[in-house]
Amino acid sequence: MATTATITLTSADIAGDPVNVSKTATCTKAGTTTDLDQTTGLSRVHLRSTTNKVLLAANAEGNDLAAKVYIINKATDPTLYCTITINAQTIGKLYAGDWMFIPWSQTDTSANIEIAATNWTASTGDIPVEYAVFHEDTDFLTNA
Amino acid sequence: MATTTATITLASSDLLSDPISFSTTAELTTAGTATGLSNTAGLARKTTGDTNEYTLLAAANYTDDKAHKIYLKNISTTSAQFFEVQVAGIVVGRLYAGDWAFFPWSADTTGTNCDVDITPSAADMTLEYMLLHE
Repeated sequence: MATTATITLTSADIAGDPVNVSKTATCTKAGTTTDLDQTTGLSRVHLRSTTNKVLLAANAEGNDLAAKVYIINKATDPTLYCTITINAQTIGKLYAGDWMFIPWSQTDTSANIEIAATNWTASTGDIPVEYAVFHEDTDFLTNA
Repeated sequence: MATTTATITLASSDLLSDPISFSTTAELTTAGTATGLSNTAGLARKTTGDTNEYTLLAAANYTDDKAHKIYLKNISTTSAQFFEVQVAGIVVGRLYAGDWAFFPWSADTTGTNCDVDITPSAADMTLEYMLLHE
């Protein structure tokens, strides 16, 4: 069940010589060569909240298991950004078109990944965000 | 103005009953503009000598609240070896052998010092990294 994540970073002119980095990782369970076997699929939300919303709620069962999180800001207005927070700490801002791909350890149940459309206003329109998690055993289902 | 692009491709032929394949390219720009990022620290390597925590990138060296981007890769080939990655003292996750990460970085120093720290699981491990910044 191999899932691969490939990054390519290129620039012809950010330095005196071209930058060209390309790496592929096979997403595996923590500390093994066994492939990750679960995913939330690619999801989409439209943000219109300037305060944090929980995008992914940490699950204690996932503590230190392997989970990979992909998030992209699909806005096209370059001024519109989303603030990404983990465990109540701001990590950075995803501007229009920016994406991120990170491991997520869910070190405790406070390690939620939260997102805010910080500079949204009624006149800017919603900020569409897509995201996916590739993970192992723990589920992200809410108790009934 | 430099033009730098970051492309991600996520693919699996057998994780689900239908193949997954999606790819997107971001042109890396300064905060809130269409102007390309113009600075990089270059692709670098850090080899650790013990299992202590190391500061990889100190927020105080960069401007707060900009559109900095960080690339990290654990080049180990021993599957059990990982780097624990922290931002501002908060654990983001573990980069296992062969894993990479790419994320925005606020470099905030106004509240919590938003340093990027790494802790290797074994003494002699190497991380490759690159900062693209304003």
